[in-house]
Amino acid sequence: MMGTDWRAAFRVGGVALLLFTPLTGLVLAGYQLEWHWQRPLWLAGGFGLGYGLLRLVWRRWLSGAHAFGQRAAAGSTTDPARHRPLWIGLALGVALLLPFFLDKYGINVATLALIYILLGLGLNIVVGLAGLLDLGFVAFYAVGAYTYAFGYHYFGLSFWLALPLGGLLAACFGMMLGFPVLRLHGDYLAIVTLGFGEIIRLILNNWVSLTGGPNGVSVVFPTFFGLEFNRRAKQGGVPLHEFLGIDYSANQRAVFLYLLLLAVVLVMVYVVVRLKRMPIGRAWEALRENEIACRSLGINHVTVKLSAFGLGALVGGMGGVFFAASQGFVNPTSFTFFESAHILAIVVLGGMGSTTGVVVAALLLTVVPEMLRDFADYRVLFVGVAMVLMMIWRPRGLRQRRRPVFQVEPSPQPAFVNPVKKRLRGPGGGHPPQWGFGGKAPNNPPNNRSDP
Amino acid sequence: MDITIFGQQCVNGLVLGSTYGLIAVGYTMVYGIIGMINFAHGEIYMISAYLTAIFLALFTTVGIHSLPVVLLGVLVLTMLFTALYGWSVERIAYRPLRHSNRLAPLISAIGISLILQNYIRISQGARNQGVPPVLEGVFRLPPDSLDHRFVQITYLQSLIVVVALVSMAILTWIIQHTALGRACRATQQDRIMANLLGVNTDRIISTVFVMGAAMAAVAGFLVTLNYGSFDFYIGFLMGIKAFTAAVLGGIGSLPGAMLGGVVLGLAESFFAGFVNSDYKDVFAFSLLILFLIFRPSGFLGVPEVEKV
Amino acid sequence: MQSAKRLLPVLAMGMMLLFACQPSGAAEPIRIGVAGPFTGSDASFGEQFWRGAEQAATDLNAAGGVLGRPIQLIKADDACEPKQASAVASRLVDRDKVVAVAGHFCSSTTMTASTTYADAGVLMITPGSTNPQITERQLPTLFRMCGRDDQQGVVGADFVVKKLKATHVAVLHDKTTYGQGLADAMKTRLHSLGQTEVLYEGLTRGEKDFNALVTKLKSIQADAVYFGGYHSEAGPLVRQMREQGMTAPLVSGDGIFSEVLVVSAGGPGFLKGVYMTFGADPRKIATGKALVERFRQNGYEPEGYTLYSYATIQTIAAAIQATQSQEGEKLAQWLHGHPVETVMGPKAWDAKGDLQVSDYVMYQWDDKGKYQEVE
Repeated sequence: MMGTDWRAAFRVGGVALLLFTPLTGLVLAGYQLEWHWQRPLWLAGGFGLGYGLLRLVWRRWLSGAHAFGQRAAAGSTTDPARHRPLWIGLALGVALLLPFFLDKYGINVATLALIYILLGLGLNIVVGLAGLLDLGFVAFYAVGAYTYAFGYHYFGLSFWLALPLGGLLAACFGMMLGFPVLRLHGDYLAIVTLGFGEIIRLILNNWVSLTGGPNGVSVVFPTFFGLEFNRRAKQGGVPLHEFLGIDYSANQRAVFLYLLLLAVVLVMVYVVVRLKRMPIGRAWEALRENEIACRSLGINHVTVKLSAFGLGALVGGMGGVFFAASQGFVNPTSFTFFESAHILAIVVLGGMGSTTGVVVAALLLTVVPEMLRDFADYRVLFVGVAMVLMMIWRPRGLRQRRRPVFQVEPSPQPAFVNPVKKRLRGPGGGHPPQWGFGGKAPNNPPNNRSDP
Repeated sequence: MDITIFGQQCVNGLVLGSTYGLIAVGYTMVYGIIGMINFAHGEIYMISAYLTAIFLALFTTVGIHSLPVVLLGVLVLTMLFTALYGWSVERIAYRPLRHSNRLAPLISAIGISLILQNYIRISQGARNQGVPPVLEGVFRLPPDSLDHRFVQITYLQSLIVVVALVSMAILTWIIQHTALGRACRATQQDRIMANLLGVNTDRIISTVFVMGAAMAAVAGFLVTLNYGSFDFYIGFLMGIKAFTAAVLGGIGSLPGAMLGGVVLGLAESFFAGFVNSDYKDVFAFSLLILFLIFRPSGFLGVPEVEKV
Repeated sequence: MQSAKRLLPVLAMGMMLLFACQPSGAAEPIRIGVAGPFTGSDASFGEQFWRGAEQAATDLNAAGGVLGRPIQLIKADDACEPKQASAVASRLVDRDKVVAVAGHFCSSTTMTASTTYADAGVLMITPGSTNPQITERQLPTLFRMCGRDDQQGVVGADFVVKKLKATHVAVLHDKTTYGQGLADAMKTRLHSLGQTEVLYEGLTRGEKDFNALVTKLKSIQADAVYFGGYHSEAGPLVRQMREQGMTAPLVSGDGIFSEVLVVSAGGPGFLKGVYMTFGADPRKIATGKALVERFRQNGYEPEGYTLYSYATIQTIAAAIQATQSQEGEKLAQWLHGHPVETVMGPKAWDAKGDLQVSDYVMYQWDDKGKYQEVE
């Protein structure tokens, strides 16, 4: 056993040496080379040794984990949903009290995390539930942000009007994009949405007379029933702190935005959870699983897909309005393809279709990169490593979705159940029926291909 | 309009399109065989640009100056090492995800792009790098025009077009007529069945990644020599463009990738040249969207048959 | 639920770490933030920033620090993205409790971050953001160590029209805040000189193939090309112009002021007829000579914004020393009224925070890959 481990480690070290030698050992300086012989050697040694140790530990752990798995399996007979309200309550409490214990930077990060939760929830409807792979979600985000920016800039629109308006406008864009692409499947849909996202960004960047181009547009901070958050009122209003008779603190506005955003996120979580149980949510998931079967059962795939696109975009647009409000400035560099990828990573890491998963993944993917700021130069590298490792660790996401399944009760009822009307068991129910190849791991999906 | 300007824009588009095509091959082959968009492919191309410059400098340092030897040696070495990177990426980031849903590899591919970009930035520095001019010279038509009324193609540009065509032909031949190609096609059609029939599908998939990376290396080599400079960020834009080309040509089809690349290159050149270069990319993406709506499987792709 | 249960501890740990990251107590050194694009596509400028600031801090600390306390630099990466800029800005203010910030680089990030610093009353001196809008907002604690694009564009336009005697000027930009701002300033001046540009277009940052655009330039017979942008695009652009047989001069701004341009263009041979505006070369100023030598001994060519960022740290230190204070407003007030002796010569600021003297001059490249001032 030990022998194979070290041979494998040796092989890894060898490959690493080959990989690292030209790119870290020889450094370009003008048209000349600088030699750094020790760098590839250290790196290769480190990789080989690390891999060998990891294998050893892994084997040790595996033999222990087997027993653990059995215990866990035995324990899972108790109802896992029992402690749920407790956890939700706890999380809510923490979320509500958080801004009062954090400094402004902490609140800003938390606000950003909430914005990403909102975006994740939106994209989750499109990708996770309806199974339509959207690589251009950032377009709706941008539409929302720019609605507020333009609305304020050209019409003096307030935040409270811009919020629904941004959402609705984004929803319109979503439908507009959704309509022609109804026929497209899987990856063709992906590239069309990617193109759409890029087009929106490029137009925002190029149409200087309207959008300010790369200079962007400034945005005013939202008011609270006409009360402002500045030390001294700027827009002829009354500052909140004077109205309430408390001291001014720069944190007030950040806390306000955080709490407002938290409320919107909670409403959205509720709406999405409810939607999933409603006929439309069922139709989304059914359409994701098998479009032809759905259409032959009379589900109107046009309205179902468009509603998914529209609702997803609506949520994304509202996220954009909040983004604009929290930044005080929007310009097209905030809406690149990488942003779409980031939101998609949240949905996939969360376990597609799972609301809890999206929330947790958005927190992780926002807070972890911020925590890595101390690593300065290596930060983005580590973010990349974390993304890959997390995918390998949890390829189906943090919350592995369990499909609602029918449970045929042992009763004299006829075995056939109408798939639309009969009651479904939600997540937390039994395992889905497995078919396919006998020896496969149980977490293999029954139909790999229909996954988006 | 001046005919020489038109001709020159055709040449520009053809050269640009050939590079898109070479990189698009990597996307299209990987997609064909495991149905996955390899978003890290653009970074593989970026790596190959660095390798080209490093090996070129290495040959100069060692003291080999014979141009054919240097170019061939650099090309071969670049292809080998880039292929090794392609293989490693597949082994580390995609193979463990073979049996999960199709989005997991997409995310780990994005992770890999971040890793490769920053790895290069840290190891090679953030500044622009480049290679000294090699193989300078142009073909002009008419050859002895004194004013600016001529169509020209530099030696390197013509090399790009020729190499792109030749390597595409070789690759197509490999896929169509060799045992390896048969195994690839079998894996593409039904991986489980191919496996049962004795094809080592894991190895075939690795081979496809290696071939894709080698083609990206050819592109990286030629582009680096032609434009003379690069940085650690070039993979991103090139990746998106090449991916667009692959879809335009019908993803999964080798000749389609080349055709898609050339069409995209020509479209960009004509739009930038005769209309407005601000909206060049908007035009390219709009073209793609319109095209996909009316012919969803691209130029040469096989229409998807829906099985119930 | 199983997985959620396992994740909650992770989450709780994350929150705790967030709390734990806060610094404990008042630290001994004086903290100065250095913010710029240390990753992403503009990382090469971030490198210049950091090298200059680092050297300045080392030198100041070797001389005994400021108010007897050492200077500690905090590196903050904004990757040239406004979103990240506002995040690092509030982090610098709240977590690191910096006294002042040297940064940011990209005009868009400076715009976003400056409001955060202004709110917190933290002194901010940008060594390289040249977009005019930045100081037009008259934030009291914001200063520039560099000129403005409208000054730079004027010098460029005057040169193109009066010296080069060009009549068909094409104006290109790279669609960034900086590049387009510069091109616009140039265009405005061109109009006031009674000329209209024959072409005004943007190219895409990150691309290398501009052949189609060059052919177009040829077809409209442009006799001078003005480019607002960075060297990574200017290099390939000028190379492709020369390859297609165009000999028209290319004029640009501080974005290409770097010997990396030689590498970007793929050889010094293509650079004949390239001009650029920049402040009087800080490496030529007598006070800077010794410093430049020290950089070169460490194998680094202090070009572009390196010395700007060095001077920025010097300025901050001088203000702290003079006022014996660490309050942004006091430092700013002092800077508005007093010139500072820096490595780039004496610098003084006007009420907006712009330099009082703009010293943009024109440089010319030769085919050996060297540049010198145009007489």
